[in-house]
Amino acid sequence: MDLIKSIAVAASGLRSQSGRMRIISENIANADSAPDRAGAEPYRRKVPTFQRHFDRTLDAQLVALGKVQRDPSAFKVKHEPGNPAADAKGDVQMPNVNSLVEMVDMREAQRSYEANLNLISSTRRMIQRTIDILRA
Amino acid sequence: MANDGFSLSGGLMQALKTRMQYQQSRQKVLAVNVANADSPGFRPVDLKPPSVDPARAGVAVAQTNAGHMSLTSANGGFDGASAPRFETTPNGNAVNLEDEMLKVAQNQSDYQLAASLYSKGLGLMKIAIGKGR
Repeated sequence: MDLIKSIAVAASGLRSQSGRMRIISENIANADSAPDRAGAEPYRRKVPTFQRHFDRTLDAQLVALGKVQRDPSAFKVKHEPGNPAADAKGDVQMPNVNSLVEMVDMREAQRSYEANLNLISSTRRMIQRTIDILRA
Repeated sequence: MANDGFSLSGGLMQALKTRMQYQQSRQKVLAVNVANADSPGFRPVDLKPPSVDPARAGVAVAQTNAGHMSLTSANGGFDGASAPRFETTPNGNAVNLEDEMLKVAQNQSDYQLAASLYSKGLGLMKIAIGKGR
């Protein structure tokens, strides 16, 4: 039955969007994770990727979280000579996390999650209608 | 024979059944579009509505052998159609979430209409056989 399949497809969307939210919250939590000693690297921002794959039993394109990649952009540099992780010039490397970008990303993930939820409730209403035919 | 009540309501029920099958398939296609709203390179798809061609109604495939398929038992799917694209993001994704949600809502209310009509049709038949009310 196609209605059950559409719930399964929407559930795959929910799963990947919540995985994306997990990675975004990881980035936000580590926005200030400075290196513990001089010369070490701070936290590098993670980027979630999406992959779609064809599911033969459902006969539909499902979505899944692909390999989590690292953002190769440059680290922020803060001048803080008193920090134990500071180099000879007194600079400390800070994570390349921009909290504004993360918040926008989070909002987008939330919007997609809600869209998938709406689809599930709409499909459930359709199933309920089908069962109501029996009662008439 | 062609105009008696039973075959008329039989045709109506058949049409509603086709309609409901179409809405179910379309719901699945829309679910795929929404789930892939962030997949790179994904193009949204849609289904063409089932064609109601009066010229073809009542035309059957000739069966010269007992093993041949009849049209009623062959349940072909519905034709796919590419949905109109409003915008394409830099990663090649062309899903417009608002448009998809609009289609889902419309699909759901169309399905409810068909399901209500179907149960009304059942009620008519019950009245006809004397079990109504």
